[in-house]
Amino acid sequence: MTTYPQLGSGALSQFPVQKNRRARTVVNQAADGSRIKLADPAARVTEWVLTYADLSDEEATALLRFFVATEGTLNGFTFLDPAGNLLAWSEHLDEDVWQKDPLLGLTPGIADPRGGMQAWRLSNSGGAEQALGQTLAAPGQYQYCLSAYVRATTATSVGLTAGSQAAQRAVTSQWTRIAWTTSGDAQASSVRFGMKIGAGEAVEVYGLQVEAQAAASGYKASTLGGVYEEAHLGDDVLTITSTDANRHSCTVKIIHANHL
Amino acid sequence: MATFPKLKTSAIAQYPLARRTQFQHRTVRFVDGSEQRYRDSAGARLQWDIRLSELDEGELAAVEEFFLASQGAFGSFSFTDPWDGQVYDNCSMAADELALATVAEMRGGTQLTIVRNI
Repeated sequence: MTTYPQLGSGALSQFPVQKNRRARTVVNQAADGSRIKLADPAARVTEWVLTYADLSDEEATALLRFFVATEGTLNGFTFLDPAGNLLAWSEHLDEDVWQKDPLLGLTPGIADPRGGMQAWRLSNSGGAEQALGQTLAAPGQYQYCLSAYVRATTATSVGLTAGSQAAQRAVTSQWTRIAWTTSGDAQASSVRFGMKIGAGEAVEVYGLQVEAQAAASGYKASTLGGVYEEAHLGDDVLTITSTDANRHSCTVKIIHANHL
Repeated sequence: MATFPKLKTSAIAQYPLARRTQFQHRTVRFVDGSEQRYRDSAGARLQWDIRLSELDEGELAAVEEFFLASQGAFGSFSFTDPWDGQVYDNCSMAADELALATVAEMRGGTQLTIVRNI
């Protein structure tokens, strides 16, 4: 599967990012002003308009190569939402998209750092590390940032994982945002992101987030996730304007439709 | 019933906020010039035009998730009128499209129209 190129900074886009969501509702309007509605979930369309400025020669060439590889609007590719959380159901860790080791207990409804009750307690009752993770159909060679808010009653640490890579982060009794930037396994077409809890440990977790960039941005609660397979370019034309030596600008439109 | 998301300040909307009230009546005019009017709808149609700017990523994502959960104009939800605090239980998005713009970190914006279903 062709994948959209990351910039040299590891980001997928620059500001501003324009994102449009479209749904389709069939409406029958009665004479008295009341309406009968029918949803059409299959017609959901998401569109991004990415505006680039000051691209280097390498970055502009990568975009051009990508455009040629997709032949404009013809071929699909995997696109990771630059303005979204790639994880699905980030506040519902009991959803099917999450893979949980058998001895890891999940308790919902814990007070979170934003004043809500959307945090979870992860309790490991086993004698070995237990993990919670989600597999994304995302390219392994990308740079990713995995982040979460964590705390525990006694100071401990948690393991963050991305494919075969792992890192440890300290956990204190105060809500702290931990983040880890890494890439998956270069040839892999999917990456499993997760959190490992040590034997006998319990950690409260909120705001799990994965982004295809070098550092974490503000937490975004998600349900659908931000991996869009079979996205397409929105135009058959790519215009790259050179504004100076090693400085280029362009605008790229990307569209993802459930029914395409 | 779902509830329209509040900003982290607990506000529902920002300035400028437009609120429109629309009635639907019929008028029958007779030969002698007199008129007879009658209501042709179950009630007033209320509409709020909400423009949001300077949102952080979490606030913008909350609006986006709410749009997805509502499936655009299909879903109905509870909406608190920012003018007087009255809660209207049967409201919907007016359109099937939502445009979200992020111009910089913690500077997102969008605009949407809410209608009270009658």
